[in-house]
Amino acid sequence: MVEELFTGENQIVSIILIAIGLLVFMAIAIVLFFYSSRKRIIKSELEKANLEIDHQKMILQSVIVTQEEERKRIAQDMHDAISSKLNVVSLNANTLTEDDITIEETNKIAISILKITNTVLESSRKIAHDLLPPILEKFGLKAALEELCEEIYETKKYESTYQLNYKENFLIPNHELHVFRIVQELINNTIKHSDATDFSLILKTEENHLSLQYEDNGKGFNLKKLKKAKGLGMSGIENRVLILNGDLHIDSKLGAGLKIYIEINSS
Amino acid sequence: MEVFLDIIGYVPVVFCVINAILYLGKYKLNNKAFKYFAIYLGLIAVIQLSAIFLGRVLGQHNLFLFHFYLILQFIFLSFFYGYLLKKIWIYKVLIFVLLVLAYQYFETPSLFFIYNAFGVALTQGILVIYALIYFYNFIKGDAEFLLVNIGLFFYLLSSILIFASGNLIFDLKEVFKFGYKLLMDLNDVLYFGLQILIFVEWLKNYSQVKIK
Repeated sequence: MVEELFTGENQIVSIILIAIGLLVFMAIAIVLFFYSSRKRIIKSELEKANLEIDHQKMILQSVIVTQEEERKRIAQDMHDAISSKLNVVSLNANTLTEDDITIEETNKIAISILKITNTVLESSRKIAHDLLPPILEKFGLKAALEELCEEIYETKKYESTYQLNYKENFLIPNHELHVFRIVQELINNTIKHSDATDFSLILKTEENHLSLQYEDNGKGFNLKKLKKAKGLGMSGIENRVLILNGDLHIDSKLGAGLKIYIEINSS
Repeated sequence: MEVFLDIIGYVPVVFCVINAILYLGKYKLNNKAFKYFAIYLGLIAVIQLSAIFLGRVLGQHNLFLFHFYLILQFIFLSFFYGYLLKKIWIYKVLIFVLLVLAYQYFETPSLFFIYNAFGVALTQGILVIYALIYFYNFIKGDAEFLLVNIGLFFYLLSSILIFASGNLIFDLKEVFKFGYKLLMDLNDVLYFGLQILIFVEWLKNYSQVKIK
């Protein structure tokens, strides 16, 4: 039967059969090719997703650490500025209840209590203000940043220049708070670590684009080291820019100050 | 042996009818692609049954049914892929090819009684390209009808040659009886493969009512 197939006029049939066989073979090859590439693509997508999850975990971790630090700071502030002073007030008030004190002494204690309560009031106002500046909510981002820069300027330790061209309600309030926190953190870093004498802040909004530029003339830092050991402050800034869907560009060298650009497109 | 092979030859047809019934049974529950495909299966099953009825029972000429098969297959699978691939040009191609075929049949009406080799190559070739595009588009993730797509790709690609060489073999049927039989059996085997994949697809993805 097989011999019959390859002799004489049957050759046409065998050629056709061979061609069909080749087509089937080709079809199998193509399907296998698609399946194997599909597998590979899915694998690489999975790896990408895992990487993303790791990154998110890291963000979450740093958020928690920051939160704890912040709690510690608030607890410390409250303990130092409020609790200990209220203790003194309580002691003084206790003395007032005693029977054998003179009017002069009473007056003296009352004045002392008044003085301490005033400072406690002032401290608690300051703590609350640090936590959430009321000006941000009442007068918006521009006023809050102005106040922030003024406060630093008033210390007389820094030359500050700022140029704020912010269109009201360009960002939603929540996002305005992020921008404010970013600037706050940048200034904090400048004060704490940089030995700078000068800083400048430029904030601009155009149609649907916001750009923020911050510079100081401090000692700067090595960018590679920063990437390896992200200080809490810097990663906080990065996360906030991420939330704002913006781009962060850091430019710094040891001894050459710091320049930071942030670009945000409004949605 | 002959009788046994003859009975085996009916298996793909039986499968085709079963598939048509299964798919048409879930007609209302699924999307447009599924509906087009179900109609395609139904029509093919009807054509197969009438071919058997005409050829084997009444002993009459049934090759003209092949042209219905060819054209209906192209129309409904074009709609099927047009919906899956979301491409408007597929419908334009459909209209163009139908015009070409209409012209062809109008010019040579005698074509009706032989295999239309050009029509087979044109329509099935285009459908094979759609199947390839479908593979490519869904290389990234899961997609419905992947098994059906594999089946169609295999069958349409390999049967182009079987049908295109049909006239040649058919004319010399008496001389090449063995070759002709072999070719038709091969077609049956490939067709059976397609039907099995269609059946598995139904079993895997459509046999149970989906909970939305």
